[in-house]
Amino acid sequence: MAAYHVVLVHFPIALWMTAALAIVWRALSDGPVALAIDRALVPLLWLGLASGVLAMLVGMRVWPWEAISTSPMGRNHILLAVWTTAYWAVMLITRILQGEALWSGLGRWIMAGLALLGAGLLGITGTLGGHLAGIYTDLSKVLRLLGWEVQRTFYVPDTTLMLLVAASVLLLVVAWLAARRGTPAGN
Amino acid sequence: MTKIDGSQALLLPAAAIFVGALGIAWFTHGTGVVKDDAKRHISVPKTLTVPLSVQAAYNGQDIFFRYRWTSPKPGIFHDMLRFEGGKWVVQGRAVPGSQPQGLHEDRIAMMVDDGSVPEFSRYGGYVTIGQGLAGFTKEVDAKAVKGHAYLGKKLKQDEPTKYLPATRRDINDYLSVVPEDELKAQRAAGYFLDLWHWRAARSNPVKLSDDQNVGEARLSDAGKGPYATNWDGAKKQPRLMFDPAKAGHAALKWDDIVGGKIAQDAQHALREDIAIPFDPAHAWKDGDTLPRRIIRISEGSRADIKVAGTARWDNGSWDVVLQRKMDTGNRLDDKIFVDRGIYQAAFAVHRQATGGRWHYVSLPVTVGLGRDADVKAVRFEGETPKWDQPAKQVTLFYPGQVSWPHVNSAKHPGADKVRAGVPVKFRHSEMELANYGIEMEFNDAIRRQWLLTMFAGLLLIVAFAVAVNATLKRGKGA
Repeated sequence: MAAYHVVLVHFPIALWMTAALAIVWRALSDGPVALAIDRALVPLLWLGLASGVLAMLVGMRVWPWEAISTSPMGRNHILLAVWTTAYWAVMLITRILQGEALWSGLGRWIMAGLALLGAGLLGITGTLGGHLAGIYTDLSKVLRLLGWEVQRTFYVPDTTLMLLVAASVLLLVVAWLAARRGTPAGN
Repeated sequence: MTKIDGSQALLLPAAAIFVGALGIAWFTHGTGVVKDDAKRHISVPKTLTVPLSVQAAYNGQDIFFRYRWTSPKPGIFHDMLRFEGGKWVVQGRAVPGSQPQGLHEDRIAMMVDDGSVPEFSRYGGYVTIGQGLAGFTKEVDAKAVKGHAYLGKKLKQDEPTKYLPATRRDINDYLSVVPEDELKAQRAAGYFLDLWHWRAARSNPVKLSDDQNVGEARLSDAGKGPYATNWDGAKKQPRLMFDPAKAGHAALKWDDIVGGKIAQDAQHALREDIAIPFDPAHAWKDGDTLPRRIIRISEGSRADIKVAGTARWDNGSWDVVLQRKMDTGNRLDDKIFVDRGIYQAAFAVHRQATGGRWHYVSLPVTVGLGRDADVKAVRFEGETPKWDQPAKQVTLFYPGQVSWPHVNSAKHPGADKVRAGVPVKFRHSEMELANYGIEMEFNDAIRRQWLLTMFAGLLLIVAFAVAVNATLKRGKGA
């Protein structure tokens, strides 16, 4: 399955990277090219998500769970792959729900920032996959300089877990506050 | 300029919460799990790799290996007997990691093979780390070892030590030793590793190295070893003390030992030639201290390896040269070196008062006598090598708890590569092995924390999505 996984991961990487570029472009411009790119964004994100999920499912069959969940590099690759897929799924949902109005006001800058973050996550996920396959790059040195030794599993202590849950609850409170203000008078 | 209306302003706190949470995760990751735990035999060193330089030379009669490695202090003491309140008390019992009072000797060990143990050339010492060895969190019960008909009763093993895979019916079962006839046949075929084992306290004072081997267990070569226990159990007192006429003192002072005030050249080892029978009537004072080991001249095959010149620690490094006959004549204990031969070796260093598995080890290297190899032994004429050839720089690493059964198990993603004979150095660097070794010591806890981290991250992403869409929705219509 390893060879199939290697083939398949090229699709979400290419599609999501292109989507990231499209989002940044649209955030920076209201010109005709940017508008055209935006029309292609939803299909790009759909294809990226479908191929990403497929690549992940095939990837989970490269090694038995017992093996891959014991390997620090394997654990890191899985964690980043799950987060990256979820993250880009969120980007898709947001673009569908918000429509073109997404690009008005603060939304466009939030999207640009999220796209860059998503591209970073995607790059790290792919690089760690390469490490698992025995193909090493210097990205691990960059991450090491930034404070993460990729040969050690990425996990956080219990206190941080609680903070992450608390942050999630706070975000839901923000959402509730926004919803509580009710439907705008014009609707 | 972008206009921000009141409702969209809720995006800012949402983004701040999201980025802040990610930042906290980044700065706290990798903490909270890896910590020393003596009950689980866990002590993780702060330094994960140590450099070792190796040279080799031979003159047709003898072979010489020169080892230089860094060590913050010269660990020239092992366990001790301290006089306290009218009794002699043992000091310096082995503990996980560094012995707090510094009472564990520095050591260099070298396992050597001539190709008879093919896995050794690819995986080095990993092939000797069987199931549940002493010092592992889950170690084989010492009682089971002592009670084993062959290991305990015949070989007098009292704890699970290194062994080679084919000496067991099942590599996952330390006690499943193959029949003795099979072991003898393996030994005759050369299925064992020679183990050169220089000890700063227990062999160096008589200018010797211990000479051992690894087959069905870590065994000593035939003959008498360089040390014995200085304790008379019946009388509950030491057997020997220093001869004041020769050593200049009857005992060492405890404060001098732990204070690092005793020089390497001082008479600190209880050698037989400077010792006399213990005299209980001597005016012993609190703090008087005698080594718990008597150091003596080895005999037989165990006396094959000598220290050439003087092994010395200086300016943060040991410099040790060991010398042995190329052909000792002890083919069931030693690997015989032949001109133009290629051999495999792996090294290990104990430093900073550590014992047992708390050492730094190397991946296997090749040693060629007059042939190109990782360590090229240079032929010379005379008695003493010039050491003018470049040294092989070896990176030693802390191996953690990774056993040969694990390497071959379904838990190791590379097990199929091991079965296919892919050498460890093809896939793993020394630093990577050190990191993985530590992770294996905490595998269950790390896996749990990793899964929780993954789910917490997912929750955060989903919650952020809900917040963003709720605030933007509001903004959209406003």
